[in-house]
Amino acid sequence: MKLLDVEIAENKMIANGIYLLSFESDYLAKTFKPGNFVNILVEKDSIYPLLRRPFSISFVKENKVFIGYKVVGIGTQILSRKKKGDTINILGPLGNSFLIERFDGKVAVVGGGVGIFPLLSLCHELKKAGNEVDVFLGFRSKSDLFFVDEFEKVSDNLFISTDDGSIGFKGNTVEFFKTKIAEGNYKVAFSCGPKPMLSAIKSLNLPFKCYVSLEEKMACGIGACLCCSIKGKEDNMLHVCSDGPVFDIMEVEI
Amino acid sequence: MNLEVEISGVKFKNPIIAASGTFGFGREFSKLINLDLFGGISTKGITLKKRTGNPQPRICEVYGGIINSVGLENPGVEAFVNDELPFLRRFDTKIIANINGFSKEEFVELAKIVSPLVDMLEVNLSCPNVKEGGMAFGKDPDKVYEITKEVKKISSCPVIVKLTPNVTDITELAKAAEKAGADAISLINTVSAMAIDIETRRPLIKMVTGGLSGPAIKPIAIRMVYECFQKVKIPIIGMGGIMNYKDAIEFFLAGATAIQIGTVNFVNPNAVLEIREGIENYLKAHGFKSVKDLVGNIII
Ligand SMILES: Cc1cc2nc3c(=O)[nH]c(=O)nc-3n(C[C@H](O)[C@H](O)[C@H](O)COP(=O)(O)OP(=O)(O)OC[C@H]3O[C@@H](n4cnc5c(N)ncnc54)[C@H](O)[C@@H]3O)c2cc1C
Ligand SMILES: Cc1cc2nc3c(=O)[nH]c(=O)nc-3n(C[C@H](O)[C@H](O)[C@H](O)COP(=O)(O)O)c2cc1C
Ligand code: FES
Repeated sequence: MKLLDVEIAENKMIANGIYLLSFESDYLAKTFKPGNFVNILVEKDSIYPLLRRPFSISFVKENKVFIGYKVVGIGTQILSRKKKGDTINILGPLGNSFLIERFDGKVAVVGGGVGIFPLLSLCHELKKAGNEVDVFLGFRSKSDLFFVDEFEKVSDNLFISTDDGSIGFKGNTVEFFKTKIAEGNYKVAFSCGPKPMLSAIKSLNLPFKCYVSLEEKMACGIGACLCCSIKGKEDNMLHVCSDGPVFDIMEVEI
Repeated sequence: MNLEVEISGVKFKNPIIAASGTFGFGREFSKLINLDLFGGISTKGITLKKRTGNPQPRICEVYGGIINSVGLENPGVEAFVNDELPFLRRFDTKIIANINGFSKEEFVELAKIVSPLVDMLEVNLSCPNVKEGGMAFGKDPDKVYEITKEVKKISSCPVIVKLTPNVTDITELAKAAEKAGADAISLINTVSAMAIDIETRRPLIKMVTGGLSGPAIKPIAIRMVYECFQKVKIPIIGMGGIMNYKDAIEFFLAGATAIQIGTVNFVNPNAVLEIREGIENYLKAHGFKSVKDLVGNIII
């Protein structure tokens, strides 16, 4: 973990309200593991927004780090206006990472909304480790699709769902995933997405391990402020920023 | 340039202290910065028993600050003594234990256990995020007097009393602490606050209200340090919204002997370094020899 000033290489819109930011950092590119995130100070000496904003590292290519994000509020608005050559301050890599190994059986990766961002490098690594990977992605509508070509390359089967049915399965991605579980022969699942989606997955009571990446409002991002605490199975407190963001779904209250 | 300050015989090599609750027990930040840079570290508020704290969401952002309702999540005094203190003790910085009781007896018990092991105690009579104890005691000068007196009796190290700004006249609390024998006071804790999401019409904090910290509270804190400086002789440790060296200087001029930095640690983990350098440069540029020359040195 380091505090770094990085120069933006590119910051472009890749779908409706979705941006992809990249910068060079040998350090982050070398230390990064899928699931890690960074805390970005979108504006130096700013009073509002004041805090850093957490974003997953979507993937790295050589020494370039790519961060996909959705514009939702003041911080991401400011970030979206940054241009090539602008400097931003980054704290990272933060958090733990997804478990990557050769599983004896297929792997399911289920993502929804901004939860899709950290899953691309995960799939890449899962494939590299020799796994067969089925990917289920959920979007609002056809116009919101992103990273689809990239996921094609790192998955064996890619299943798209949209809320309005404008492309792929009509409905949410967990409903669709559910229909595939019986035939899937999955050994493990990985997921990231909005809370309702993750609780839907939890209530499926999957007969195999499932790891989820969680989001919680953060201040420090390193485990010191205790703002991002969630309850574990035995009423113990876990910190999304430092114990997570990746957890065994059975070990946390969602 | 002399950055050293002394509070009741405890020598701080510089006047910058990490504020309780914003720095954990130092472990996490030690991976980023050298903890030796701090004059002192006030540790996360501890209670006798382990506490899980308040439900999510615990934090939201507002103009110039954050509202939190962490609610004193902490591993309890035993874990603090066994697992955290030995680590912190490795660093060349003064350790201040921030203690929180839900009764006078609990404060005394905590003081008994912890005071022989640390450089100073900070009696938190001001946490806005717990139902009993904390601020409920801290708003009442009689209770401040009573608890301070009992803690002082038992404590083997100097005692700081941390005051709440959520009262009409903070100087009444300051005077009560002084009268009871407090070695110093620290102020301010967070300001009771609230924010509402107009789309969902729900409060942004699960507990509805929480404590505001950050730049938004600095002018309030400066005023309170200034007022207390007129009324008490014991040293004041000032805090609330310090983001840079200029803010720190303002606190010294208002009457603070030392300062604590909290929210800024989340934004800029290098703040301690930058503030220390800034103070040094300021002293040089204005012909002062030591931080002590600044304390209360406001021209009205
Ligand atoms: C570990 C982690 C990884 C993340 N990875 C990504 C990512 O790869 N891409 C991406 O687009 N987003 C990601 N997020 C969410 C992202 O942090 C928020 O969207 C962002 O902070 C919103 O900032 P804002 O100032 O634009 O929004 P604000 O104006 O602050 O708020 C707008 C909305 O964003 C939500 N929000 C604000 N802060 C956070 C936060 N710290 N965590 C979660 N939600 C928040 C608020 O609840 C609100 O609904 C991640 C969050 C976490 C905790
Ligand atoms: C997340 C958070 C947790 C805090 N926890 C404590 C605590 O446990 N004990 C305490 O005395 N003060 C606590 N405080 C208050 C700070 O120590 C400090 O008084 C306040 O934040 C004002 O300073 P600042 O504006 O520099 O942050 C906490 C503040 C924050 C933001
Ligand atoms: S954000 Fe501070 S502990 Fe997780």
